[in-house]
Amino acid sequence: MNQSDSIKTLRLSGELEISRKDEIRATLRRGGDDRAILLDLSEVTYADSVALTELLRFCVDAQRSEVPVALVVQTPQFARIVQYAGLANAFRTFDDRDAAFTYLAESVES
Amino acid sequence: MKRPSELRLHCPAQSRYVPHIRHALAAFLEALQFDRSLRDDVTTAAGEALANVVEHAYARSPGTKVRDVQLLARLDSGGRLCVDVSDRGEFIRRKPLPGRGFGLRIIRAIARRMSIDTSRGTCVSMTFEVPSLSKR
Repeated sequence: MNQSDSIKTLRLSGELEISRKDEIRATLRRGGDDRAILLDLSEVTYADSVALTELLRFCVDAQRSEVPVALVVQTPQFARIVQYAGLANAFRTFDDRDAAFTYLAESVES
Repeated sequence: MKRPSELRLHCPAQSRYVPHIRHALAAFLEALQFDRSLRDDVTTAAGEALANVVEHAYARSPGTKVRDVQLLARLDSGGRLCVDVSDRGEFIRRKPLPGRGFGLRIIRAIARRMSIDTSRGTCVSMTFEVPSLSKR
C-alpha cells in the first residue's frame, strides 16, 4: 500500500449549514481501515455552528481512534469562522492541499 | 440612488429557509455598499441566530401553531447596523456542553453588542459597527 492509498480524502463544498446537516453527517463517515483522512474543505465558503459541531465530532472520534485528520481550508470567510468559534486549535488545518497530504503521510509513517 | 434603510423578512422556522434569509441579508448589505468581509461576518452572525431558532426555539413547545422566525435589519441613527432575529418559541438556558454552543460564541466574536430578550418569545439583537459608512 503506498501513501496515497492509506490516506482517504473526504470532500465538502459550498455553504455548510443547518439545512445540509444530514448530508454533512453522511459524508463524514470513516471506514474501519482508514489510516489518515484528508478533509478537503477548500471550496467551503461558509459554515454555521451546526456544521462545525459535525466537523468537530468527526475529528474527535478520529483522534480517539488514532486516525490523523487534516483539514484544507482556503476561503477567508471559513477560516475566520473557525477562529470566531474558538476552534483554531481543535482542527489541524492547512491552506495548501500538498502540505496537508505531507503531514498525513508523515503521521502514517511514524 | 437612495439606499434601502430596512430589511424585514418573515418565514417559517425551517432549515430550508435559512440560506435564503442569509442571502437576502447579504444582498441588502451589498446594496448598502458594505465591503465583502463585513457582509460575510454579519450574515454569519445572523445565520447563527437563525440556526438557533430552527434547532431550539420550538423544541419544547410542540403545541405552538405558528412556528416562524423574523429578521429585521436596519441602520440606526448612529450609522450602526442593527439585526434582530426573533421567534415565538421558548429560550432554553442550559450549561455549555463540550463541543456545542459555538453559535453564541461566533455572534459575540463578530457583533459589537448582542442581547437576548426572552419576554415574548426570543429576540436576539445584534449591533455591528460600520466603520466607513459615513464616508459613503
